[in-house]
Amino acid sequence: MLRFILSRIGMAVPTVFLVAVVVFFLIRLVPGDPAALLLGDMASPESVAALRSDLGLDKNILTQFAIWLTSVLQGDFGTSITTKEQVAHLIIERFKVSAGIVLVAVALASLVAVPAGFIAALRQNSRLDFTLVSIAALLLSIPTFWLGLVILLIFGLKLGWLPVVGYVSVAEDPSRGLLYVLMPILTLFLHEIGVLLRMARASALEVLRLDYITHARAKGLPERTVLWRHVFPNAFAPTLTLIGLVLGNMLGGIAVVETVFTIPGLGRLLVDAIFGRDYPVIQGCLLFIAVIYVLVNLIVDLCYPLFDPRVKIT
Amino acid sequence: MNRRQRLAASAAALALTLACGPAAAETLKIALNADIRSLDPGVNRDANSDAVVLHIVEGLVAYSEDASVKPLLAKEVAVSDDDLTYTFKLRDGVKFHNGNVLTSADVVWNWNRYMDEATKWRCRNDFAAGGAAHVVSVTAPDDKTVVFKLEKPNALFQATLARTDCGMTGILDKSSFNADGSFNVPVGTGPFRYKEWRKGEFIDLEAFADYAARSEEKRDGYTGAKRPLVEAVRFAVIPDRSSAKAALLNGDIDIVPDVPYADVEEFKQNADTAVSLATNPGIVALLLQTRDPLLKDMRIRKAIAMALDTKTMVEGITLGLGKANNSLIPPTSKYHSPAQTQGYSYDPEAAKALLQEAGYNGQPIKLIANTRYSNTYDAAIVAQAMLQQVGITAELEVLEWAAQLDRYQSGNYTAMVFPYSGRYDPALTMDSVMGNKDKEPRKVWDDPDAQAMLADAVRYSDPAKRQELFDKLHARFLETVPFIMLYNGLEASAYQKHVQNYAASIFSMPRAWEVTIAE
Repeated sequence: MLRFILSRIGMAVPTVFLVAVVVFFLIRLVPGDPAALLLGDMASPESVAALRSDLGLDKNILTQFAIWLTSVLQGDFGTSITTKEQVAHLIIERFKVSAGIVLVAVALASLVAVPAGFIAALRQNSRLDFTLVSIAALLLSIPTFWLGLVILLIFGLKLGWLPVVGYVSVAEDPSRGLLYVLMPILTLFLHEIGVLLRMARASALEVLRLDYITHARAKGLPERTVLWRHVFPNAFAPTLTLIGLVLGNMLGGIAVVETVFTIPGLGRLLVDAIFGRDYPVIQGCLLFIAVIYVLVNLIVDLCYPLFDPRVKIT
Repeated sequence: MNRRQRLAASAAALALTLACGPAAAETLKIALNADIRSLDPGVNRDANSDAVVLHIVEGLVAYSEDASVKPLLAKEVAVSDDDLTYTFKLRDGVKFHNGNVLTSADVVWNWNRYMDEATKWRCRNDFAAGGAAHVVSVTAPDDKTVVFKLEKPNALFQATLARTDCGMTGILDKSSFNADGSFNVPVGTGPFRYKEWRKGEFIDLEAFADYAARSEEKRDGYTGAKRPLVEAVRFAVIPDRSSAKAALLNGDIDIVPDVPYADVEEFKQNADTAVSLATNPGIVALLLQTRDPLLKDMRIRKAIAMALDTKTMVEGITLGLGKANNSLIPPTSKYHSPAQTQGYSYDPEAAKALLQEAGYNGQPIKLIANTRYSNTYDAAIVAQAMLQQVGITAELEVLEWAAQLDRYQSGNYTAMVFPYSGRYDPALTMDSVMGNKDKEPRKVWDDPDAQAMLADAVRYSDPAKRQELFDKLHARFLETVPFIMLYNGLEASAYQKHVQNYAASIFSMPRAWEVTIAE
């Protein structure tokens, strides 16, 4: 088990390194100069040049890469060009905010969508199935920024139940903090239901068609046992993979929802950094997100044997 | 009651108790469309940073409502006959937020810090050797007097000290810095003092009870009456415009300094909100690369100017709120004389004739625009259509702002619609567009004769003399068409009606002093 984990992490090293290389050079290929952006439209060429040299941007690009990589290997992600804060600290602070919202939303969405998907599969082509699939398709096709704004309009403006803007950390003040994250969680929850429900239904349908289910029924097992022993565990495995992907995707990528609800999360940090050409922050964020992907997928893989005995971790 | 209803009900109850809390009523909540960069005046800044910092720190002099420079921490400023010595008398009883009394020694100490290269003050080069307003010495003959000596006369010396992007050359108490000299938090003399900055969320300020108010009764730009009349101010970071609008409508926010023009009518109609409009000196221009093989021909540039009905264009993109201005001097300036109201003559037929004379036959002109400053994008779209009318093929190239700025800095473009941030003295505005393209490729008006006139406008402080020069410059600007000036920035601020005495200003930055919240 430990060997498996270690080897998986070892396999991830080249991936993460590749991400580091691509990110570092790609962002520098994008036109736009952090120093010029920082100083604004009326900056003189001398002051831009001075700032570039301060930031080390006047050095050879390979030298810059070597400096950055060496620092990263020592755990130093550098400081933000715009705010002068430690990038590692920034990322951790912002990640905590995003992760809380995403984990709750995905957990709730899984709890609702997976059973609903299985039920839809069992009652395939019934009115219930049709309704569930339609709802899922609808939720899936609504873009989150629009869904977020509608939720904001309803709960924040029309009903006035929840504050429209602002953020209070749940760790600091649980009851108030909850008020500020309810709407973003609801938005993501609704969106992810659409994704997960369809996947759960499709996997269950696939399993239901298999010979061993027919065999199980033929040998007289009660339907309950058939479902719980044979259908659900096997149908859950692909859904689990998808949950892993969704999690990895959302942990760094809910910038839109964060912007609508003024949540100071990782996604917004990244988007702001891209617009501001804040190279150290962009590099740090993307590297961090790559690592998160690797870790989430590793955890998902480790969970596999729980649902599918054919998978053995060696 | 099911679980969700119960949750919603308890959430509603909580929200209600929060909204009605006694402390909340006296906090003025102002939206910012992005987080600030730092609180270090004039060092690491953008417009939002300036807006917040200038509530905390003050300088010797400041811009007034009509963009002239007036004393702020100074009681009076005496200028010697040779225009080389400026004597600032400090006001009595001005205190820093930690209770220390402001003395001339503080001013000298701050000046030395600003002029230290390590501080990285944005405006250092203007005052250093070789700069336009080279300061050779700053002395404090007594507790309340500071004397600045210049190398050569410069009409813009005070106007540069007062620049908002220079942090107003704000005077800070020494406790603003860490033991190693690095900046910590601003301890200034302003009407509000720094309380807390949650990155990406908000900046909280509180009223400074011992604020030494000036004797003027009215607010006057960044000087005049500046009393803190609310207990606290919160600048809340709300990047999304729709969210800011929703927050204003439901009362979570008191003031949104910049709302889209399309929302102005709605906020005016709404019983709870009001709108304040102000034109700023920032210029929105259609830049033309005079070194482009096509556009180096003045006839083609003139034809472009004649093809554009800027009046209709600006009315269209500002939904009737703004007016075109073809002068680099904004209508709010005292230098906007009748001569400055002279603009381009809209004449499509003459434009066609000029194009024919110049031998233009439909060669495409790339027109760069960005969507971050959405009304400049609209201007580009309208310009494209108007140019089409006279047979000019303008191809729109939409870039992200950082990419466009890059092209602007390098001069690598044929045409672009570009928004400049505001400078309050006309000579400063002109200085940012005029210059030698060989030395500074970003400059868009390369004309030695005009440059000489500008140098005089910087040299002489006599307003009549300056007016004459500005009028001559404007005539030359219209005649040679180095680029096309379309309009000045227009800011629409929306606020709750219970906010009293709030007004947008030429600075396009929210001001919380002299503002009250009605019961």
